[in-house]
Amino acid sequence: MKLRPATSALLFFTALVFAAFSVWAPRFATATNIENLMSGFSFIAILAMGQAFPILVRGIDLSIGAIVGLAGMVVFDLALIFHLPGYLILPLALLAGSLAGALNGFLVAYLRLQPFIATLATLAAYRGLTYTISGRQLVPGLTTTAITDPWIMGIEAYFDVGGWLGLTKWVNMPWIPLSFFLMLLVFALFQVLLLMTRFGRDIYAVGGNEEAARLAGIRTNVVIVLAYTLSGFAAAIAALIMVARFTTSTEALGTGMELTTIAAAVIGGVSLAGGTGSMFGPLIGAFLMGGILLGLTLLGISQFVQQIITGMILLAAISNDRLLAIRRRPKLLAISSGAS
Amino acid sequence: MAAPPLIRGTDLSKVYGTLTALNNTNFTLMPSEVRALIGANGAGKSTLIKILTGAIAPTSGTVEISGTPVALGDPRAMIRNGLACIYQHANLAPDLSVLDNIFLGRQPTSRFGLVNTKAQRSEAQALMARHGIEVDVDVPVGNLPTVKQKEVEILKALALNARIILMDEPTAWLSASEVTKLHETVRALKSTGVGIVYISHVLDEIFAVCDTLTILRDGKVVAETDVAKINRPSVVELMVGEKLARDSAQASSKNRHPRGTGEIGLSVRNLTKHGVYRDISFDLYAGEILCITGLIGSKRTELLQTLFGTVKSDSGTVSVTGAPAVFRKPSHAMARGIGLVPEDRHRDGLMLGMTVTENLALATLAKFLHGLFLSSKGMAEAARASIADLSIRPPDGRHEVGLLSGGNQQKVLVGKWLNLAPKVLILDEPTVGVDVGAKAEIYGILRRERERGKAILVVSSDLEEVLTIADRIAVMVSGSLVALHDAGAIGSKELVREIGGIAA
Amino acid sequence: MNSQKVINAKRRNLIKASMLGTAALAGAAGVLFGNFGPQSTGLGISQAKAQGTRYKMAFIQWQPHTVPAAWSKGIEEVLKPQQVIDYELLDGQNKVEVQASLMDTLINQGASVIFLQPIDSVALAPSIAKAKRAGISVITLNIDATEAHAAHVEMNHYFGAMDIAKAMGDVMGGKGKVAILNAPPGIIIRDQRTNGFVEGMKQHHPDIQVVSDQVADWDRKKAQDVLNTILAANPDLGGVYGVNDSMALGAVDVAKEKGLIGKLAIFGNDGEIAALESIEAGELTGTQYTDVYQQGRLAAAAATVLATGGVAATAFTQQSHLLMPYVIATKENVGSIQPAQRW
Repeated sequence: MKLRPATSALLFFTALVFAAFSVWAPRFATATNIENLMSGFSFIAILAMGQAFPILVRGIDLSIGAIVGLAGMVVFDLALIFHLPGYLILPLALLAGSLAGALNGFLVAYLRLQPFIATLATLAAYRGLTYTISGRQLVPGLTTTAITDPWIMGIEAYFDVGGWLGLTKWVNMPWIPLSFFLMLLVFALFQVLLLMTRFGRDIYAVGGNEEAARLAGIRTNVVIVLAYTLSGFAAAIAALIMVARFTTSTEALGTGMELTTIAAAVIGGVSLAGGTGSMFGPLIGAFLMGGILLGLTLLGISQFVQQIITGMILLAAISNDRLLAIRRRPKLLAISSGAS
Repeated sequence: MAAPPLIRGTDLSKVYGTLTALNNTNFTLMPSEVRALIGANGAGKSTLIKILTGAIAPTSGTVEISGTPVALGDPRAMIRNGLACIYQHANLAPDLSVLDNIFLGRQPTSRFGLVNTKAQRSEAQALMARHGIEVDVDVPVGNLPTVKQKEVEILKALALNARIILMDEPTAWLSASEVTKLHETVRALKSTGVGIVYISHVLDEIFAVCDTLTILRDGKVVAETDVAKINRPSVVELMVGEKLARDSAQASSKNRHPRGTGEIGLSVRNLTKHGVYRDISFDLYAGEILCITGLIGSKRTELLQTLFGTVKSDSGTVSVTGAPAVFRKPSHAMARGIGLVPEDRHRDGLMLGMTVTENLALATLAKFLHGLFLSSKGMAEAARASIADLSIRPPDGRHEVGLLSGGNQQKVLVGKWLNLAPKVLILDEPTVGVDVGAKAEIYGILRRERERGKAILVVSSDLEEVLTIADRIAVMVSGSLVALHDAGAIGSKELVREIGGIAA
Repeated sequence: MNSQKVINAKRRNLIKASMLGTAALAGAAGVLFGNFGPQSTGLGISQAKAQGTRYKMAFIQWQPHTVPAAWSKGIEEVLKPQQVIDYELLDGQNKVEVQASLMDTLINQGASVIFLQPIDSVALAPSIAKAKRAGISVITLNIDATEAHAAHVEMNHYFGAMDIAKAMGDVMGGKGKVAILNAPPGIIIRDQRTNGFVEGMKQHHPDIQVVSDQVADWDRKKAQDVLNTILAANPDLGGVYGVNDSMALGAVDVAKEKGLIGKLAIFGNDGEIAALESIEAGELTGTQYTDVYQQGRLAAAAATVLATGGVAATAFTQQSHLLMPYVIATKENVGSIQPAQRW
């Protein structure tokens, strides 16, 4: 895989930010902080990679956070009300998330709804559904009951990779959370899907020029539905990681994640104009944002200021995206606008 | 051993409501034939193309491909039958590589469902070698020059084993040398037995590369002939029809005021934009109507955009009533008394969801400001005056513009700019999609404004219109102003010849 | 007659509590820890000052609101004068993952005490366990966590709501219909207050019916709309309980508009300054007043002892639990709440 210039620029910027924080923010360059970064932002990276699929097909998934809440509550109910074993809960949760995503895709592809509107509506609907099925309210006492199923709690595990490799002799290595490995697995899976399969090409084709894709015989509607399904699937994985981390789920789980994930994806070079970007960018984007948030907190900078800074970074990324799109346009204009 | 024609369309008709877009048309294409398909706007050309690509089904008629009847109205069936269309705007995914675009939607896959890049590459190389095309297959298509993008589209078609390729205005965005290159590719394709339907407005190209010619007018085939057996003036005449000659003869020459009051309204000198138009000079006088005409693609619209400040020129000067002017944006042009009635009134001109009154006031809102607020009474009064003046129907300013007829919408649009009291009024294709009655009314409005001393510049590809309203006629061919006549001094035939790019 | 006596007794409690100055708080905090034998090594603030040791403490709030802001002010009042403690207020943004991430960061920074207003009792338990393993004491405010920790300082939600029910029933003469303007579900405080109120009615005024329990999102504006709907269905409504003061004040707005002031008994909860003023103006009938500054001071005093007294975070097998004293403030006694106690 060749690194695109935008990707190398992002990597460079990320390295710069991390280096700066390492120098100025106390306890930033510590094993504990790296561990916190990995356990606190791996699921965000997974969500951002999921979010990248709808954006690649020129859409957006505003409901991704609500799907996290829904899948989390499915886990909660199945574990604490129905006492299902974890090995059944895991696939059912993934199924629930994927179905919720597929419905988004159906609304966008077949009912031709604006992605923004369609997923804004399902954002409300999924969140409402989460409250409706919430075992915390249906069954008294569950609010203070932790999930203990070993299959689910097993996700919240840490591995002393540094110790196994014998590196701890020289440096203090972070223990690596399983969620980080899961994130790498999702990355590998999605990246192969995107770059090496026909489905991946179809995604780029639909995002780059839907009409061309249709005329080439690509079933564009199916591609769009699958893109949103993958977003829901990623949301369910993130929900599992979060439930394992918190030993419970809440009705509000995942609130506001849509913005974080869109930001990470756009910062990672996934163009809102569709058809540009890969999984690598959102991954880096998520950890870049995580690093910035942790670094600013360690510097003692108020979180309200942090939110302003996050907003400005997002604004910069979107402006940059627009700029690139405009710069690309003269060539595309030639092929996409009519004659004089 | 006469092979069956690649395409045989028989008695094809397409009726939309009361409008017959295509009327019992026959169309054939043989292997190794390059057939030009031409006709003026609305002649039924695009309807025929859509039927052939399967985008729409005809109301009646049949299409056989290589002697076998095919299902109509199904794009995929047409692709399966070896018919590919290269549209005027590229149907490529800009961020995918050339290789991926060629095999879009049907990449060969290895086991595990992964794309087999090796197989793709070797097949693409073989295709390029066979048809004499050379492209770097690993570059994203968006980074290629336009002519290369066309070649990618051709490769894409060939990779589908297409034996019939429809090319819709393939050279619209190409430079002269690129056109030559594309024509070489077309000839190479022809030599391998591929049949090509070549749709173009540019007669030069048709005579350069096509074997045969089908001319459509008003939904009917008016000529079907070998290119060698016909000359350009006859082609143009067949395209526009005899009625035109009659009409121009009828147009009264008394009513013409070349150079109007003699006072120069707008003066253009050596205006050039590289690759678009070059060395344009003319004067537009107050009290005259100057029509600029030419074929689609002669860059008239781009010239207008420069005069109105939306497209920058590279060199040359513009002056308004004698004073030099530089327009970097439309408001500059408006401030100097220039108004532009754009071609696409839906896209560029009107707020369809707003009322007639609001639309009429849109360009002149400042006039109705009372402090911070708009005076709706003032707006309504002004609108009443305009409605009466332009006889907009229904005569009620509260109507939504989107609900009016095309002609009345156009009158609202003209009225909006007249409210600005411009010294120079520019209109781009003022009567497209307007019925005959409304056309006459709009001509009446233009003549009256001329009498009131406005300098009026009209761009039109409708020769009938040009010969009816122009005081002077300028002809543009491929970005150059080739001729400037007093309206009475030129006949329709000569005009047609000039428009077609034939030296007089 | 009897109830007047109770109120008087409570007023004395209140005044007594408010007399506890900052200096006395450290001592009072000692009362908090009845459950362990302090293995004090004799460290103290003065020693820390001499050695130049600095302590880091932080409060992770749920989301910005008057209550945590007042806690934070009370905490600062105690911690600042000691000069060796760095304190900051962190915002949980109403998201469990943000609170957990902030906990991680504070653990990484080696904080000595973390004040926490958990969004969820279970979700933050793993973070608290992690802090404990790192030797960091956690003091929760208002919402308890399922993982045992150093101390929990809480408003007396359940019993306070019972007393509100009693006071409301007294005003209504022991019969009629009441409605609850409630918080969104899934929050422990909501359940404690609602259950206390319903139980209180059952015990003291069995003839009073709770006819409606609707969610108004803690919000004044929303409460107005919700109450209007409730009144349409129950025009003979006699009492409204807003689970926080904002919603109760929303009910006051509606009562004023419909001329129901005096006819409708409206009670809030928390006792923020706007509510007390409304009571003084004769609009809001009453509220459960807790001295939230004091709550913060108590937590801070306990934290100081934990940080400088050499008490190990892991020493708490059973956490201490402190319920804040409260008064049911009504027109009769609201004047006794001093300006300095108002938040």
